[in-house]
Amino acid sequence: MTQPLLSIDDLHKSYGSEEVLEGVGLEMDQGDVTVLIGPSGSGKSTLLRCVNRLTEINSGQIALDGQDVTGANTDVNELRKQVGMVFQDFNLFAHLTALENVTLGPKKVLGMDAADAEEAGRTHLEQVGLLEQADSYPAELSGGQKQRVGIARALAMDPELLLFDEPTSALDPELVGEVVEVMRDLAAEGITMLVVSHEMDFARSAASDIVFLDDGEIVEHGPPEQLFQNPTAERTEQFLSRLHAHEETA
Amino acid sequence: MAATLLQTADWLFVIDNLGLLLGGTAVTIALTVASIFLGFVVGFPAGAIEVYGSERASRLVEQVGVVLRGTPLLVIIMILYFGLSVSSSAFVTATIALGLRSAAYQSQIFRGALQSVDDGQLEAARAVAMSRFEAIRHVVVPQALRRSVPGFQNEFTIVLKDTSIAIVIGIGELLTTGQNLYEGGQSTAALEIFLAVSLVYFVLTFATNRSLDRLSDYYAVPEGTT
Repeated sequence: MTQPLLSIDDLHKSYGSEEVLEGVGLEMDQGDVTVLIGPSGSGKSTLLRCVNRLTEINSGQIALDGQDVTGANTDVNELRKQVGMVFQDFNLFAHLTALENVTLGPKKVLGMDAADAEEAGRTHLEQVGLLEQADSYPAELSGGQKQRVGIARALAMDPELLLFDEPTSALDPELVGEVVEVMRDLAAEGITMLVVSHEMDFARSAASDIVFLDDGEIVEHGPPEQLFQNPTAERTEQFLSRLHAHEETA
Repeated sequence: MAATLLQTADWLFVIDNLGLLLGGTAVTIALTVASIFLGFVVGFPAGAIEVYGSERASRLVEQVGVVLRGTPLLVIIMILYFGLSVSSSAFVTATIALGLRSAAYQSQIFRGALQSVDDGQLEAARAVAMSRFEAIRHVVVPQALRRSVPGFQNEFTIVLKDTSIAIVIGIGELLTTGQNLYEGGQSTAALEIFLAVSLVYFVLTFATNRSLDRLSDYYAVPEGTT
Protein backbone atom coordinates (compact mmCIF):
# COMPACT_ATOMS: atom_id res chain seq x y z
CA MET A 1 0.00 0.00 0.00
CA THR A 2 1.83 3.08 -1.22
CA GLN A 3 -0.60 5.72 -0.07
CA PRO A 4 -3.44 5.58 2.41
CA LEU A 5 -7.00 5.65 1.08
CA LEU A 6 -7.91 8.48 3.39
CA SER A 7 -5.51 10.85 5.00
CA ILE A 8 -6.46 13.73 7.23
CA ASP A 9 -3.86 16.16 8.42
CA ASP A 10 -4.00 19.02 10.93
CA LEU A 11 -7.73 19.53 10.46
CA HIS A 12 -9.26 22.57 12.10
CA LYS A 13 -12.93 23.44 12.25
CA SER A 14 -14.69 26.15 14.21
CA TYR A 15 -18.24 27.24 14.53
CA GLY A 16 -17.94 30.92 15.33
CA SER A 17 -15.50 31.18 18.20
CA GLU A 18 -16.10 27.56 19.21
CA GLU A 19 -13.27 25.38 17.93
CA VAL A 20 -14.67 21.89 17.35
CA LEU A 21 -11.65 20.23 15.74
CA GLU A 22 -8.23 21.37 16.87
CA GLY A 23 -5.72 19.84 14.52
CA VAL A 24 -6.88 16.29 13.87
CA GLY A 25 -4.80 13.81 11.88
CA LEU A 26 -5.89 10.36 10.77
CA GLU A 27 -5.01 7.80 8.12
CA MET A 28 -6.98 4.87 6.81
CA ASP A 29 -5.91 2.16 4.40
CA GLN A 30 -8.23 0.32 2.12
CA GLY A 31 -10.25 -2.24 4.08
CA ASP A 32 -9.74 -0.49 7.42
CA VAL A 33 -12.65 -0.17 9.77
CA THR A 34 -11.99 2.81 12.02
CA VAL A 35 -14.38 3.55 14.87
CA LEU A 36 -14.45 7.04 16.33
CA ILE A 37 -15.49 7.21 19.96
CA GLY A 38 -15.60 10.09 22.35
CA PRO A 39 -17.92 12.15 24.52
CA SER A 40 -20.76 14.06 22.97
CA GLY A 41 -19.52 17.34 21.57
CA SER A 42 -16.01 15.98 21.05
CA GLY A 43 -16.18 16.61 17.27
CA LYS A 44 -16.69 13.05 16.01
CA SER A 45 -19.60 13.78 13.71
CA THR A 46 -18.02 17.00 12.51
CA LEU A 47 -14.87 15.11 11.55
CA LEU A 48 -16.94 12.58 9.65
CA ARG A 49 -18.92 15.25 7.81
CA CYS A 50 -15.75 17.05 6.76
CA VAL A 51 -14.69 13.95 4.81
CA ASN A 52 -17.61 14.24 2.34
CA ARG A 53 -17.79 18.00 2.74
CA LEU A 54 -21.24 18.21 4.22
CA THR A 55 -19.24 20.42 6.55
CA GLU A 56 -16.48 22.68 5.22
CA ILE A 57 -13.20 22.82 7.09
CA ASN A 58 -11.32 25.93 8.18
CA SER A 59 -7.81 24.61 7.61
CA GLY A 60 -5.85 21.42 7.15
CA GLN A 61 -5.77 18.72 4.50
CA ILE A 62 -7.96 15.80 3.61
CA ALA A 63 -7.01 13.51 0.76
CA LEU A 64 -8.91 10.57 -0.64
CA ASP A 65 -6.84 8.25 -2.79
CA GLY A 66 -4.27 10.99 -3.01
CA GLN A 67 -6.81 13.48 -4.34
CA ASP A 68 -7.35 16.72 -2.48
CA VAL A 69 -10.82 16.71 -0.93
CA THR A 70 -11.19 20.24 0.35
CA GLY A 71 -9.61 22.29 -2.45
CA ALA A 72 -11.59 24.98 -4.22
CA ASN A 73 -11.23 23.10 -7.51
CA THR A 74 -12.44 19.77 -6.14
CA ASP A 75 -15.74 18.68 -7.64
CA VAL A 76 -17.71 17.91 -4.53
CA ASN A 77 -20.16 15.65 -6.38
CA GLU A 78 -17.31 13.59 -7.84
CA LEU A 79 -15.94 13.25 -4.31
CA ARG A 80 -19.30 12.13 -2.94
CA LYS A 81 -19.56 9.38 -5.54
CA GLN A 82 -16.56 7.86 -3.75
CA VAL A 83 -17.79 8.43 -0.22
CA GLY A 84 -21.11 7.01 0.97
CA MET A 85 -22.82 8.14 4.13
CA VAL A 86 -25.23 6.57 6.59
CA PHE A 87 -27.07 8.99 8.86
CA GLN A 88 -28.13 8.80 12.46
CA ASP A 89 -31.70 9.78 11.53
CA PHE A 90 -31.72 7.58 8.42
CA ASN A 91 -32.97 10.41 6.16
CA LEU A 92 -34.52 8.00 3.71
CA PHE A 93 -36.31 9.76 0.87
CA ALA A 94 -39.85 9.79 2.25
CA HIS A 95 -41.70 9.72 -1.06
CA LEU A 96 -39.80 6.75 -2.47
CA THR A 97 -39.98 3.03 -1.78
CA ALA A 98 -37.01 1.19 -0.31
CA LEU A 99 -35.92 0.10 -3.78
CA GLU A 100 -36.37 3.59 -5.22
CA ASN A 101 -34.32 5.00 -2.35
CA VAL A 102 -31.51 2.70 -3.33
CA THR A 103 -31.74 3.30 -7.09
CA LEU A 104 -32.19 7.09 -7.14
CA GLY A 105 -28.48 7.88 -6.89
CA PRO A 106 -27.36 5.31 -9.47
CA LYS A 107 -30.06 6.48 -11.90
CA LYS A 108 -29.73 10.24 -11.51
CA VAL A 109 -26.06 10.55 -10.67
CA LEU A 110 -24.32 7.55 -12.22
CA GLY A 111 -26.62 7.54 -15.23
CA MET A 112 -27.53 3.86 -14.94
CA ASP A 113 -30.61 2.81 -16.85
CA ALA A 114 -33.64 1.91 -14.77
CA ALA A 115 -33.49 -1.85 -15.29
CA ASP A 116 -29.81 -2.15 -14.36
CA ALA A 117 -30.24 0.12 -11.36
CA GLU A 118 -33.17 -1.96 -10.13
CA GLU A 119 -31.33 -5.20 -10.52
CA ALA A 120 -28.35 -3.83 -8.64
CA GLY A 121 -30.68 -2.24 -6.08
CA ARG A 122 -32.35 -5.57 -5.36
CA THR A 123 -28.93 -7.12 -4.84
CA HIS A 124 -28.07 -4.42 -2.32
CA LEU A 125 -31.40 -4.81 -0.53
CA GLU A 126 -30.77 -8.53 -0.38
CA GLN A 127 -27.35 -7.83 1.07
CA VAL A 128 -29.00 -6.03 4.00
CA GLY A 129 -31.75 -8.64 4.23
CA LEU A 130 -34.60 -6.47 2.98
CA LEU A 131 -35.46 -7.75 -0.47
CA GLU A 132 -39.02 -8.45 0.68
CA GLN A 133 -39.46 -4.82 1.73
CA ALA A 134 -38.36 -3.45 -1.66
CA ASP A 135 -41.74 -1.86 -2.32
CA SER A 136 -42.35 -0.53 1.18
CA TYR A 137 -42.17 3.16 1.94
CA PRO A 138 -39.87 4.40 4.73
CA ALA A 139 -42.81 5.12 7.03
CA GLU A 140 -43.81 1.47 6.79
CA LEU A 141 -40.41 0.20 7.98
CA SER A 142 -39.04 -0.24 11.49
CA GLY A 143 -36.05 1.84 12.55
CA GLY A 144 -33.66 -1.04 12.02
CA GLN A 145 -35.07 -1.70 8.57
CA LYS A 146 -34.82 1.98 7.67
CA GLN A 147 -31.18 2.07 8.65
CA ARG A 148 -30.48 -1.05 6.62
CA VAL A 149 -32.09 0.62 3.59
CA GLY A 150 -29.87 3.61 4.38
CA ILE A 151 -26.85 1.34 4.20
CA ALA A 152 -28.05 -0.24 0.94
CA ARG A 153 -28.57 3.25 -0.51
CA ALA A 154 -24.97 4.15 0.31
CA LEU A 155 -23.64 0.84 -1.03
CA ALA A 156 -25.50 1.27 -4.31
CA MET A 157 -23.14 4.06 -5.30
CA ASP A 158 -20.26 1.61 -4.95
CA PRO A 159 -18.17 4.02 -2.87
CA GLU A 160 -14.56 3.54 -1.82
CA LEU A 161 -15.30 4.65 1.69
CA LEU A 162 -18.45 4.44 3.81
CA LEU A 163 -19.11 6.94 6.59
CA PHE A 164 -21.46 5.99 9.42
CA ASP A 165 -22.69 8.81 11.65
CA GLU A 166 -23.99 7.15 14.82
CA PRO A 167 -25.98 4.63 12.80
CA THR A 168 -27.60 2.95 15.78
CA SER A 169 -28.19 5.80 18.23
CA ALA A 170 -31.72 6.56 17.02
CA LEU A 171 -32.75 2.92 17.28
CA ASP A 172 -34.67 1.10 19.97
CA PRO A 173 -32.22 -1.22 21.75
CA GLU A 174 -33.76 -4.39 20.34
CA LEU A 175 -33.21 -3.13 16.77
CA VAL A 176 -29.51 -2.31 17.16
CA GLY A 177 -28.39 -5.88 16.57
CA GLU A 178 -29.72 -6.22 13.02
CA VAL A 179 -27.90 -3.07 11.92
CA VAL A 180 -24.66 -4.02 13.67
CA GLU A 181 -24.83 -7.42 12.01
CA VAL A 182 -25.05 -5.84 8.54
CA MET A 183 -22.15 -3.51 9.36
CA ARG A 184 -20.09 -6.43 10.57
CA ASP A 185 -20.76 -8.27 7.29
CA LEU A 186 -19.59 -5.23 5.34
CA ALA A 187 -16.44 -5.02 7.42
CA ALA A 188 -15.77 -8.69 6.77
CA GLU A 189 -16.16 -8.08 3.04
CA GLY A 190 -13.32 -5.60 3.23
CA ILE A 191 -15.33 -2.41 2.80
CA THR A 192 -13.51 0.60 4.18
CA MET A 193 -15.59 2.16 6.93
CA LEU A 194 -15.22 5.20 9.14
CA VAL A 195 -17.77 4.83 11.91
CA VAL A 196 -18.87 7.16 14.67
CA SER A 197 -20.46 4.83 17.19
CA HIS A 198 -20.47 3.76 20.79
CA GLU A 199 -21.59 0.28 19.83
CA MET A 200 -18.83 -1.51 21.72
CA ASP A 201 -19.94 -4.84 20.41
CA PHE A 202 -19.23 -3.67 16.85
CA ALA A 203 -16.06 -1.85 17.83
CA ARG A 204 -14.59 -4.91 19.53
CA SER A 205 -15.55 -7.41 16.87
CA ALA A 206 -15.15 -5.53 13.61
CA ALA A 207 -12.90 -2.51 14.05
CA SER A 208 -9.32 -2.49 12.91
CA ASP A 209 -8.71 0.80 14.71
CA ILE A 210 -10.31 2.76 17.49
CA VAL A 211 -9.84 6.51 17.69
CA PHE A 212 -10.71 8.31 20.90
CA LEU A 213 -11.58 11.93 20.31
CA ASP A 214 -12.07 14.44 23.10
CA ASP A 215 -12.36 18.23 22.95
CA GLY A 216 -11.53 18.32 19.26
CA GLU A 217 -8.30 16.33 19.59
CA ILE A 218 -7.36 12.74 19.02
CA VAL A 219 -6.35 11.55 22.46
CA GLU A 220 -5.60 7.99 21.57
CA HIS A 221 -5.52 5.81 18.50
CA GLY A 222 -4.90 2.08 18.34
CA PRO A 223 -6.24 -1.38 17.65
CA PRO A 224 -9.33 -2.24 19.73
CA GLU A 225 -7.70 -4.78 22.03
CA GLN A 226 -4.98 -2.31 23.00
CA LEU A 227 -7.22 0.72 23.37
CA PHE A 228 -9.93 -1.10 25.29
CA GLN A 229 -7.66 -3.25 27.50
CA ASN A 230 -4.73 -0.93 28.06
CA PRO A 231 -5.57 2.65 27.31
CA THR A 232 -2.53 4.83 27.79
CA ALA A 233 -4.29 8.12 28.37
CA GLU A 234 -6.21 8.81 31.54
CA ARG A 235 -9.00 10.53 29.62
CA THR A 236 -9.54 7.41 27.53
CA GLU A 237 -9.70 5.26 30.62
CA GLN A 238 -12.25 7.54 32.27
CA PHE A 239 -14.40 7.66 29.17
CA LEU A 240 -14.34 3.88 28.74
CA SER A 241 -15.26 3.23 32.34
CA ARG A 242 -18.22 5.62 32.03
CA LEU A 243 -19.25 3.80 28.87
CA HIS A 244 -19.00 0.41 30.57
CA ALA A 245 -21.02 1.63 33.52
CA HIS A 246 -23.66 2.87 31.11
CA GLU A 247 -23.69 -0.40 29.15
CA GLU A 248 -24.22 -2.39 32.34
CA THR A 249 -27.13 -0.27 33.48
CA ALA A 250 -28.67 -0.09 30.01
CA MET B 1 -89.52 36.49 -1.06
CA ALA B 2 -90.70 32.90 -1.10
CA ALA B 3 -93.17 33.82 -3.78
CA THR B 4 -90.43 35.32 -5.90
CA LEU B 5 -88.47 32.07 -5.78
CA LEU B 6 -91.42 30.19 -7.15
CA GLN B 7 -91.81 32.32 -10.27
CA THR B 8 -92.02 29.51 -12.80
CA ALA B 9 -91.70 31.89 -15.69
CA ASP B 10 -88.43 33.25 -14.33
CA TRP B 11 -86.94 29.78 -13.96
CA LEU B 12 -88.11 28.93 -17.47
CA PHE B 13 -86.32 32.08 -18.61
CA VAL B 14 -83.11 30.79 -16.98
CA ILE B 15 -83.58 27.40 -18.62
CA ASP B 16 -84.21 29.01 -22.00
CA ASN B 17 -80.94 30.90 -21.68
CA LEU B 18 -78.92 28.00 -20.33
CA GLY B 19 -76.88 27.95 -23.51
CA LEU B 20 -75.71 31.51 -22.90
CA LEU B 21 -74.90 30.79 -19.28
CA LEU B 22 -72.94 27.72 -20.30
CA GLY B 23 -71.01 29.86 -22.75
CA GLY B 24 -70.17 32.22 -19.87
CA THR B 25 -69.19 29.19 -17.79
CA ALA B 26 -66.76 28.11 -20.50
CA VAL B 27 -65.13 31.55 -20.42
CA THR B 28 -64.93 31.39 -16.62
CA ILE B 29 -63.27 27.99 -16.79
CA ALA B 30 -60.81 29.18 -19.44
CA LEU B 31 -59.96 32.27 -17.40
CA THR B 32 -59.50 30.19 -14.26
CA VAL B 33 -57.30 27.59 -15.92
CA ALA B 34 -55.15 30.22 -17.65
CA SER B 35 -54.77 32.25 -14.45
CA ILE B 36 -53.99 29.26 -12.23
CA PHE B 37 -51.48 28.08 -14.81
CA LEU B 38 -49.77 31.47 -14.97
CA GLY B 39 -49.90 31.61 -11.18
CA PHE B 40 -48.18 28.23 -10.95
CA VAL B 41 -45.55 28.94 -13.58
CA VAL B 42 -44.60 32.18 -11.84
CA GLY B 43 -45.50 31.29 -8.25
CA PHE B 44 -43.64 28.00 -7.95
CA PRO B 45 -40.24 29.40 -8.95
CA ALA B 46 -40.96 32.46 -6.82
CA GLY B 47 -41.56 30.26 -3.78
CA ALA B 48 -38.41 28.27 -4.56
CA ILE B 49 -36.37 31.47 -4.86
CA GLU B 50 -37.67 32.62 -1.48
CA VAL B 51 -36.40 29.39 0.05
CA TYR B 52 -33.26 28.61 -1.97
CA GLY B 53 -32.35 31.83 -3.76
CA SER B 54 -29.66 34.33 -2.89
CA GLU B 55 -30.58 36.81 -0.22
CA ARG B 56 -31.06 39.56 -2.79
CA ALA B 57 -33.24 37.51 -5.10
CA SER B 58 -35.39 36.19 -2.31
CA ARG B 59 -35.89 39.65 -0.83
CA LEU B 60 -36.92 41.03 -4.23
CA VAL B 61 -39.42 38.23 -4.78
CA GLU B 62 -40.78 38.68 -1.29
CA GLN B 63 -41.28 42.42 -1.77
CA VAL B 64 -43.09 42.01 -5.09
CA GLY B 65 -45.29 39.42 -3.39
CA VAL B 66 -46.12 41.75 -0.53
CA VAL B 67 -47.22 44.46 -2.97
CA LEU B 68 -49.33 42.07 -5.06
CA ARG B 69 -50.97 40.52 -2.03
CA GLY B 70 -51.64 43.95 -0.59
CA THR B 71 -53.47 45.30 -3.63
CA PRO B 72 -57.15 44.56 -4.29
CA LEU B 73 -57.62 42.44 -7.40
CA LEU B 74 -60.09 44.97 -8.78
CA VAL B 75 -57.40 47.63 -8.56
CA ILE B 76 -54.81 45.38 -10.22
CA ILE B 77 -57.18 44.71 -13.12
CA MET B 78 -57.99 48.39 -13.57
CA ILE B 79 -54.35 49.43 -13.44
CA LEU B 80 -53.39 46.82 -16.03
CA TYR B 81 -56.34 47.50 -18.35
CA PHE B 82 -57.07 51.21 -18.09
CA GLY B 83 -53.81 52.45 -16.62
CA LEU B 84 -51.09 50.49 -18.38
CA SER B 85 -53.15 49.00 -21.23
CA VAL B 86 -50.95 45.91 -21.15
CA SER B 87 -53.15 44.24 -23.73
CA SER B 88 -56.09 45.28 -25.86
CA SER B 89 -57.66 41.93 -25.01
CA ALA B 90 -59.69 42.04 -21.82
CA PHE B 91 -59.26 38.28 -21.46
CA VAL B 92 -55.47 38.50 -21.62
CA THR B 93 -55.44 41.41 -19.18
CA ALA B 94 -57.68 39.58 -16.72
CA THR B 95 -55.50 36.47 -17.01
CA ILE B 96 -52.38 38.49 -16.22
CA ALA B 97 -54.05 40.21 -13.27
CA LEU B 98 -55.53 37.03 -11.80
CA GLY B 99 -52.38 35.06 -12.65
CA LEU B 100 -49.96 37.47 -10.99
CA ARG B 101 -52.12 37.84 -7.93
CA SER B 102 -52.40 34.05 -7.74
CA ALA B 103 -48.63 33.71 -8.22
CA ALA B 104 -48.14 35.89 -5.16
CA TYR B 105 -50.32 33.55 -3.12
CA GLN B 106 -49.12 30.31 -4.70
CA SER B 107 -45.52 31.30 -3.97
CA GLN B 108 -46.40 31.28 -0.28
CA ILE B 109 -48.07 27.87 -0.54
CA PHE B 110 -44.96 26.41 -2.16
CA ARG B 111 -42.54 28.28 0.09
CA GLY B 112 -44.21 26.79 3.14
CA ALA B 113 -44.30 23.32 1.60
CA LEU B 114 -40.62 23.44 0.59
CA GLN B 115 -39.62 24.64 4.05
CA SER B 116 -41.61 21.87 5.68
CA VAL B 117 -39.44 19.16 4.11
CA ASP B 118 -36.79 18.09 6.61
CA ASP B 119 -33.26 19.36 5.90
CA GLY B 120 -32.00 15.81 6.30
CA GLN B 121 -33.70 14.94 3.00
CA LEU B 122 -31.63 17.48 1.10
CA GLU B 123 -28.49 16.44 2.95
CA ALA B 124 -29.02 12.75 2.18
CA ALA B 125 -29.54 13.57 -1.49
CA ARG B 126 -26.33 15.63 -1.55
CA ALA B 127 -24.54 12.73 0.14
CA VAL B 128 -25.39 10.46 -2.81
CA ALA B 129 -23.62 13.00 -4.99
CA MET B 130 -26.60 14.88 -6.36
CA SER B 131 -26.07 18.53 -7.13
CA ARG B 132 -28.11 20.97 -5.07
CA PHE B 133 -30.48 21.47 -7.98
CA GLU B 134 -30.93 17.71 -8.56
CA ALA B 135 -31.46 17.15 -4.85
CA ILE B 136 -34.15 19.82 -4.69
CA ARG B 137 -35.78 18.62 -7.89
CA HIS B 138 -35.79 14.87 -7.22
CA VAL B 139 -36.14 14.76 -3.46
CA VAL B 140 -37.53 17.97 -1.97
CA VAL B 141 -39.95 19.13 -4.68
CA PRO B 142 -41.88 15.85 -5.02
CA GLN B 143 -42.54 15.90 -1.28
CA ALA B 144 -43.34 19.60 -1.21
CA LEU B 145 -45.84 19.33 -4.07
CA ARG B 146 -47.75 16.65 -2.20
CA ARG B 147 -47.94 18.88 0.86
CA SER B 148 -49.11 21.89 -1.13
CA VAL B 149 -52.37 20.32 -2.35
CA PRO B 150 -54.62 21.63 0.46
CA GLY B 151 -53.32 25.17 0.06
CA PHE B 152 -53.62 24.87 -3.68
CA GLN B 153 -57.26 23.77 -3.39
CA ASN B 154 -58.00 26.96 -1.50
CA GLU B 155 -56.21 29.07 -4.04
CA PHE B 156 -58.06 27.41 -6.89
CA THR B 157 -61.39 28.15 -5.27
CA ILE B 158 -60.46 31.78 -4.74
CA VAL B 159 -59.25 32.30 -8.32
CA LEU B 160 -62.34 30.62 -9.77
CA LYS B 161 -64.68 32.91 -7.89
CA ASP B 162 -62.54 35.99 -8.42
CA THR B 163 -62.76 35.60 -12.19
CA SER B 164 -66.15 37.27 -11.68
CA ILE B 165 -64.31 40.53 -11.00
CA ALA B 166 -63.38 40.54 -14.70
CA ILE B 167 -66.94 41.79 -15.22
CA VAL B 168 -65.55 45.32 -14.82
CA ILE B 169 -63.60 45.10 -18.05
CA GLY B 170 -66.44 43.46 -19.89
CA ILE B 171 -65.36 39.88 -20.36
CA GLY B 172 -68.25 37.56 -21.20
CA GLU B 173 -67.58 35.23 -18.29
CA LEU B 174 -70.28 33.61 -16.20
CA LEU B 175 -71.31 36.55 -14.03
CA THR B 176 -71.27 39.00 -16.94
CA THR B 177 -73.45 36.65 -18.95
CA GLY B 178 -75.93 36.46 -16.09
CA GLN B 179 -75.90 40.21 -15.60
CA ASN B 180 -76.52 40.82 -19.30
CA LEU B 181 -79.47 38.45 -19.28
CA TYR B 182 -81.16 40.27 -16.48
CA GLU B 183 -80.43 43.72 -17.84
CA GLY B 184 -81.73 42.61 -21.21
CA GLY B 185 -85.34 43.00 -20.20
CA GLN B 186 -86.62 40.13 -18.02
CA SER B 187 -85.69 42.00 -14.85
CA THR B 188 -87.93 39.89 -12.62
CA ALA B 189 -85.59 36.93 -13.17
CA ALA B 190 -82.65 38.57 -11.38
CA LEU B 191 -82.76 36.31 -8.33
CA GLU B 192 -83.17 33.15 -10.40
CA ILE B 193 -80.31 34.12 -12.70
CA PHE B 194 -77.89 34.87 -9.90
CA LEU B 195 -78.88 31.73 -8.03
CA ALA B 196 -78.18 29.71 -11.17
CA VAL B 197 -74.83 31.48 -11.55
CA SER B 198 -73.96 30.72 -7.92
CA LEU B 199 -74.85 27.10 -8.42
CA VAL B 200 -72.46 26.86 -11.36
CA TYR B 201 -69.63 28.37 -9.29
CA PHE B 202 -70.40 25.93 -6.52
CA VAL B 203 -70.46 22.90 -8.78
CA LEU B 204 -67.14 23.90 -10.39
CA THR B 205 -65.49 24.49 -7.03
CA PHE B 206 -66.81 21.30 -5.54
CA ALA B 207 -65.90 19.14 -8.52
CA THR B 208 -62.37 20.52 -8.72
CA ASN B 209 -61.73 20.12 -5.03
CA ARG B 210 -62.89 16.54 -5.19
CA SER B 211 -60.67 15.88 -8.20
CA LEU B 212 -57.68 17.35 -6.39
CA ASP B 213 -58.51 15.14 -3.39
CA ARG B 214 -58.41 12.15 -5.70
CA LEU B 215 -55.12 13.26 -7.22
CA SER B 216 -53.68 13.77 -3.75
CA ASP B 217 -54.82 10.30 -2.63
CA TYR B 218 -53.36 8.75 -5.75
CA TYR B 219 -49.92 10.21 -5.12
CA ALA B 220 -50.06 9.90 -1.35
CA VAL B 221 -47.21 8.09 0.39
CA PRO B 222 -47.36 6.75 3.93
CA GLU B 223 -46.48 9.46 6.43
CA GLY B 224 -44.13 9.09 9.34
CA THR B 225 -40.47 9.34 10.19
CA THR B 226 -37.93 8.57 7.54
